[in-house]
Amino acid sequence: MMASWFTIAKWELLRSKLKFDTRSMIMLILSLMLVIVASYAASQTGMSMNQKIYLVVISQPEVQPIIETDQRFDYILVDRFAASAYNEYGADIAIIGNNVYLGDTRKSAAAGDSLDNTFKTYREIVLTSYNDVNNSHPVWVTVHDLERPQNFQLAGTEETVDSLSRGANRSAGYGTGTNGATGLGSSGAIRTGSSTISPEDIAALDTMEGKTFFERQTLSTPSNFSPPIPFTAILYAFLFIFPIYFVSQFYSTSLMDERTNKKGELVLVAPLRGIDVVIGKTIPYIFITMAIQAAITLYILGIPSTFAGVERALLVLAAIFPVVLLFFALSFYSAILSRSFKELTFASVFLSVIISGYLFFPAMFANIHAISSISPITLIVRLIENETVLANTYLFSTLPFYFVAISVYAFGTFIFREEDLFTQKSITGKIVDCFEMFLSYPYGSVFLLSIVFIPFVYMTQLMLIVMLFNLPVPYSIIAMILLSAMAEELVKSIGIYALFKRKIVDITLRNAIKYSILSGAGFFVGEKAVAVLTLAPIASSAFGSVMTMGTLLLIPLFLHITTVLISSLVMYMKGPRYYVAAVILATIFHSIYNIMILRELFF
Amino acid sequence: MSKNGNSCRKMKTIAKKEFKELMREKTFILAIIIQLFIASFSTFLVIGLTSFYDPTTLGNIEMQGSSIAVVGTEENEFYKLLQESNLHTQLYTDFQMAYTDFYNHKVDAIIMTPLGSSGGTDLLNVDIYLPKSEIRATIVSLQLKEPLEKYEQSVRDIRTQRLPGYTPIEFNIIKRGLRTTSTYFEFIYVALLPLLIFTPAFISGGLIIDFITEEYERKTMEMLLVSPASMIEIISGKAFMAIMIVPLQSSVWMLLLSMNRVSIDNSLQILLVVTIIAAVLVLASTTIAVLLKERGVAQLLYSLILIFLFMSSYLFTNSPLNLVTRLSIESIGSLEAWTWIGIYMLVAIILYLLMMIVVKRDPNNI
Repeated sequence: MMASWFTIAKWELLRSKLKFDTRSMIMLILSLMLVIVASYAASQTGMSMNQKIYLVVISQPEVQPIIETDQRFDYILVDRFAASAYNEYGADIAIIGNNVYLGDTRKSAAAGDSLDNTFKTYREIVLTSYNDVNNSHPVWVTVHDLERPQNFQLAGTEETVDSLSRGANRSAGYGTGTNGATGLGSSGAIRTGSSTISPEDIAALDTMEGKTFFERQTLSTPSNFSPPIPFTAILYAFLFIFPIYFVSQFYSTSLMDERTNKKGELVLVAPLRGIDVVIGKTIPYIFITMAIQAAITLYILGIPSTFAGVERALLVLAAIFPVVLLFFALSFYSAILSRSFKELTFASVFLSVIISGYLFFPAMFANIHAISSISPITLIVRLIENETVLANTYLFSTLPFYFVAISVYAFGTFIFREEDLFTQKSITGKIVDCFEMFLSYPYGSVFLLSIVFIPFVYMTQLMLIVMLFNLPVPYSIIAMILLSAMAEELVKSIGIYALFKRKIVDITLRNAIKYSILSGAGFFVGEKAVAVLTLAPIASSAFGSVMTMGTLLLIPLFLHITTVLISSLVMYMKGPRYYVAAVILATIFHSIYNIMILRELFF
Repeated sequence: MSKNGNSCRKMKTIAKKEFKELMREKTFILAIIIQLFIASFSTFLVIGLTSFYDPTTLGNIEMQGSSIAVVGTEENEFYKLLQESNLHTQLYTDFQMAYTDFYNHKVDAIIMTPLGSSGGTDLLNVDIYLPKSEIRATIVSLQLKEPLEKYEQSVRDIRTQRLPGYTPIEFNIIKRGLRTTSTYFEFIYVALLPLLIFTPAFISGGLIIDFITEEYERKTMEMLLVSPASMIEIISGKAFMAIMIVPLQSSVWMLLLSMNRVSIDNSLQILLVVTIIAAVLVLASTTIAVLLKERGVAQLLYSLILIFLFMSSYLFTNSPLNLVTRLSIESIGSLEAWTWIGIYMLVAIILYLLMMIVVKRDPNNI
């Protein structure tokens, strides 16, 4: 059996080689060279596209070198009298003597703020040229991160006492730890903290607590002191995602090609199982992508010389792998669903934007907020910044990716057959086909379907947290409740919809109730499993409590069954055509329940 | 003359057909949704950024509850400066006590004040302990920036006198009533606005590749060619449609932005720039599609060229992106602006001629 997918994979590689004829290869290589040259040239300029957006009028030539350090400013040199008049029309700022005059527009105010920064930067440049640190940069700031329990968790008495004593131990460690860490290569000893413990004790403490001691430490002067926003790391992470976009484009194009040219029919007629064809067509692309990712990893981290270095490179690859898998799974699925290349382009752009949002926006908050750990990109950022990543953090952020990717592949493989691939079936029809196939397997049931969907709901809800993160609090929670209830109701009832719509079972009251109980119970089991496994890192925030709400066991079970019963009863009475209305009704009921539970957050 | 008018009409027919097809497939709607999605993300980002960079907006709400532990003595210079600011500070004599309160959420940061004095010669080291993975850490560090800079300044006032030939820059920026940060202003006009209104142009460039390669791959190009329209008319019609949907979408973006009280000057001129750039991109990718006929390869080449153009726009002042920025905030003279619009127009015309040559030489052409 292994040989059959291997044959397909070989064909696929040969075919894609044929696509690149000499002419297109030359064009691609030429444009790639252009990109490299332009990127190199751009990286020399400071990479900001804000040239000459403010106009300054200056009256004395001494200011000129200062203004010239900042590309944002365009300047005119005139005499004092003209400067005061120019301020009235055209220019945003006039510098006359030691005074800087601003206009009364927002742009002028922004220009004034920029100018302030320009002066500071210039001062730093001048002072740095002195090479006398004690007098030019006399103040240094060291930032340490300290762990402490989150505010929401109320620890028991015993635990508090325990953590208090641990805390005291740690604090002692910190005091002297800084002594060793702040080694500024200049005259004058730096004395920090209150050293109360001798170095031997510190060493012992250090080995005891492992690497969590100081995970991040920064040293800077007050002028360079800035809050932790890892934009450069984000840019690095972008390097990883970019090749995935391209390769997944080729992947979906290849699948779509077979569908439009009907070449794929031949493959399907051959004595091969659908799954072999899917694996064979996918493996080469995954292989190529991972090879590119490995090259990028080595480019960023450098060629590892130690075992730890190799391990770090492998960890980066392990963090990116589920992302690659998910991108491919979604491209695969949209290539099967789409009816034309145009649809495919839009579907893949849409999905790429959503996944990129999921990946990047939480990562912006890396080192700032616990929410950032939902994105594997955060793992990569941490690894690049040379921090340790624990196994449970890895599982927390990547498991949903694995689960969703594998189930999407499974659903896609179900409909990898002639009637779905080579006919102009509607998209919803194909989606329902997936569920029909799933449910007609001997072990497939609505119970299992609900469990399979748990990672989807989980990712959707995490995505919602990201999107609603910046809304003011009461609105964000209400929106969160409504949308996550809708996601849950949708997946619980979709199986029953498929059963009724495709007439797999008769639409009777008995069946409506029976399948509601099965589906609700399945969802409940899956949800609890997720809660136990992974939710710990964000369960402590208000958003997290929306997701895991009600650890009291029976009430949520009852709720899940009741709400899905609402939608199945509507379908029973009105027919499957009213599915959307049924889901909305169930969502409303579900939200009301959640708001009741969470009311102490509002009042 | 009449022949010309005729081919124009045929071009229009093709463009209309493509437009109808686009609408029918609902993909256009999806494209709008994608852009809306990007926009909503960007606004989240804006809100996030402003709260990061403008402590005053957050300070009033969040800082009421948090106070900062200062380990040191009453006479410490830095402690005095901290007291002058609006921060809630609490003085501790040793770190242990401060840490216990930190652990119990009574204080949100610990500052170890430096021992030396500004008159001395030693480096002054300030240690700041912040709660890990809490948004509060960011807020506190933002709040501390100003007192820290003041402290640095006061020490420097004394110590830089020892540096030979150093004269401090002293400028007095007289602020009017309006308060805004340059980060916020520049994010909106330098990043958000150009990105939003050029996105439709980027998408159209990709769209035209699909239009053309699909005809080749489905072998429907032959069918179209049997019709009285010539190859060049068919291709031009498709390209024309792809270009014309760009200013439509971009104007919607500008409308949305101005509804959010982002005022945009010279909006008609900006739309003209966007349309010309859309023409440049669409004509370039049309040429690529006719040359290569293979969707995947053509899209890849187009993306590479797009990255190349994007990177090159860092290299000169009036790149399309920055031209739009400068137009929108009235930072460019009209002569300069029209000169550059003319240059881009010229590029578009050259690309059109190039496309004509490629289409005429195409072996599939009849």
